[in-house]
Amino acid sequence: MTAPITPPLVRMQSLHKSYGPAMQVLKGLDIEMQPGERLVVIGPSGGGKSTLLRVMMGLEKIDRGSITFGGKPYISSDGLDKKTNIDTEVRRSIGMVFQHYTLFPHLNVVENLILAPCKVRKERKSDATERAVGLLTRFGLAAKAKAYPAQLSGGQKQRVAIARALMLDPKLMLFDEVTSALDPELVAEVEQVILQLAAQKMPMMIVTHDMWFAKNIASRVIFCAGGVVVEDGPPEQVLGSPKEERTRDFIDRVFHIRQ
Amino acid sequence: MALDFSIILRFQDALLLGLWMTLKLTLICVILGCTLGFLVGLARTSRSVMLRTISGVYVDFFRGTPVLIQLFWIFFCLPLILGIELSNLASGVIALTLYMGAITSETFRASLKSVGPEQLDACIALGLPRRIQVTNVILPQAVLRAIPTLLSNCVSLFKESALVSAVGMADLMFVGQNISNNTAQPVEVLTIVALIYFIIAFPLTRAVSLIERRILAKLAI
Amino acid sequence: MNYSFDFQSISFAPLWEGLMVTLELTAAANIIGIVGGFLLALLIMSPIAVIRLPAMLFVEFFRCTPAIVQIVWFFYCVPMLFNVFLGSMTMGILALGFNLMAFNAEAYRASIQAVFREQIDAGIALGLNPFQRILYIVLPTAFRASIPVLLTNGIGIFQQSALVAIVAVQDLMYQGKTLATETYRPIETFTVVALIYFAVSFPVTQIVGYLERRRQLLMS
Repeated sequence: MTAPITPPLVRMQSLHKSYGPAMQVLKGLDIEMQPGERLVVIGPSGGGKSTLLRVMMGLEKIDRGSITFGGKPYISSDGLDKKTNIDTEVRRSIGMVFQHYTLFPHLNVVENLILAPCKVRKERKSDATERAVGLLTRFGLAAKAKAYPAQLSGGQKQRVAIARALMLDPKLMLFDEVTSALDPELVAEVEQVILQLAAQKMPMMIVTHDMWFAKNIASRVIFCAGGVVVEDGPPEQVLGSPKEERTRDFIDRVFHIRQ
Repeated sequence: MALDFSIILRFQDALLLGLWMTLKLTLICVILGCTLGFLVGLARTSRSVMLRTISGVYVDFFRGTPVLIQLFWIFFCLPLILGIELSNLASGVIALTLYMGAITSETFRASLKSVGPEQLDACIALGLPRRIQVTNVILPQAVLRAIPTLLSNCVSLFKESALVSAVGMADLMFVGQNISNNTAQPVEVLTIVALIYFIIAFPLTRAVSLIERRILAKLAI
Repeated sequence: MNYSFDFQSISFAPLWEGLMVTLELTAAANIIGIVGGFLLALLIMSPIAVIRLPAMLFVEFFRCTPAIVQIVWFFYCVPMLFNVFLGSMTMGILALGFNLMAFNAEAYRASIQAVFREQIDAGIALGLNPFQRILYIVLPTAFRASIPVLLTNGIGIFQQSALVAIVAVQDLMYQGKTLATETYRPIETFTVVALIYFAVSFPVTQIVGYLERRRQLLMS
């Protein structure tokens, strides 16, 4: 095996996270992600998938462990003084899209997109607006530039949320169950946009319940349950013929329900 | 009994003067009270235990006692304690501002709380610094949400302002009572006074529900 | 400040008497408000305009005019207009009761209309007739939902009852005013009176807050 020339994009080492003593959500996760990989995380509810993404985004404190991003230290906690160090500079190169859109309801679509570029990167308003309109056009939302979130369908809102995250040119995108709140007929338009990003080699980490989507987007699938990685491999293996008993159970049940 | 509403025309000027006093008092206290309420609302969510306690006691006390006794206290006791004369208007303004500050602080506090934690998640994911989170995301939403309730707070203040008549301030109610005592025609005079209050307050309450619907429709995510 | 406090000269007996009158006013007004408010709520939701409009006018009038105007109007005008002469206590109870009725009617209406459509649909699906749906689904849900507002309004009328002192009902406020004049001790008297009002209202507002928090927890 040859050593990779570039460092891994993400290296998580022994991540521990609990909500109080009774609820251990992450029990020592070690995950490495190479540049250009599209990692899909599947598993039962409460298995720690969403927490994993939220930790990766720097939204949650951790009890112990560390994450490096592009070879640079990003998040660490030694488990002694209950303090989680997060490098906010590194955090800015990660974008995230949430299940419930979380657009800013008092701002219109373009304003939602340009808020961060103008305030964080001090970009000129006209430049940011131009880029925003370009992105919206690419996602088929040009007509909605001046609309408020309340005037959009769920699918449109989620596409706006993706565009908003892309405005900061992230090096990694996190998608946390982004189609779970959508009506079935709106799921495809959002998944199309993510597939479009995948075609441009955008590294991403995706939590989803949609196995069809997982199969189509993933370059690698991780099955997470009980706060640990149970199985990790290419989609054909984990989704098609899983090696682990627990993964097989889960996949069988999910597909059984769907049939 | 025969009612003669034409009596009102004779006292038109006096009533208008009273109404002007009522409106002036309300307007001054709306501005001062909302400012106070906003600051107190922030103090109640502050990290400092001292600020939280003081603002909490203030709000609880002013919401837990009749406005009439607050007014009496400020008219009769505050000058004694401060050792200075306070004009009627000054006392009225102090009393109603404190009342308005207490009720609007609750409005501001509730609207600040109504901005959900997922909005903060989104701010962090976009790398917005704390200051921008507050000025561009939380405050605008909180103020938008507060507007309908603030408007009803204003209507309440407008109504409560009639209490200053009990301490001898020449507002609409005071003038009305005087005319009614002097002419011995309370039915006509007091009914007209009530109608004047109604004509001003009623459209405002309608506006509240209209604005509420529009804002809720806009903020529904 | 060179004022020396003297709480000794405050005699509590008249204040106690006044408090009893205030509580009596509050309790009686609440009975009128809770029962009458419900009936009024049914009227303002009536599909028949001749019933609905006067009821709505009644509610809006009480909600959009100062309580002090209502009380003074009631004391001066009702005897002249209708030629009835009631004791001042009865007048006070009626004036406050009508005011509370209007506010409670709004609370009932809001919570009846907030009973979720699905709940009623479920009632239809279970084969309940319209009368049963109202009796077993709408009213119990709505009544429970309106309890916090009814309590808030009820304690509001406790505070508003101080207004009857202006028309010489001998309630807590009235006794306080008299005592302040007699003893030349306004600060001590009014402070004590304010504290008494506070001591009654505050626990009730705390209970309301608790009920609302619990309700939110149960709903989520």
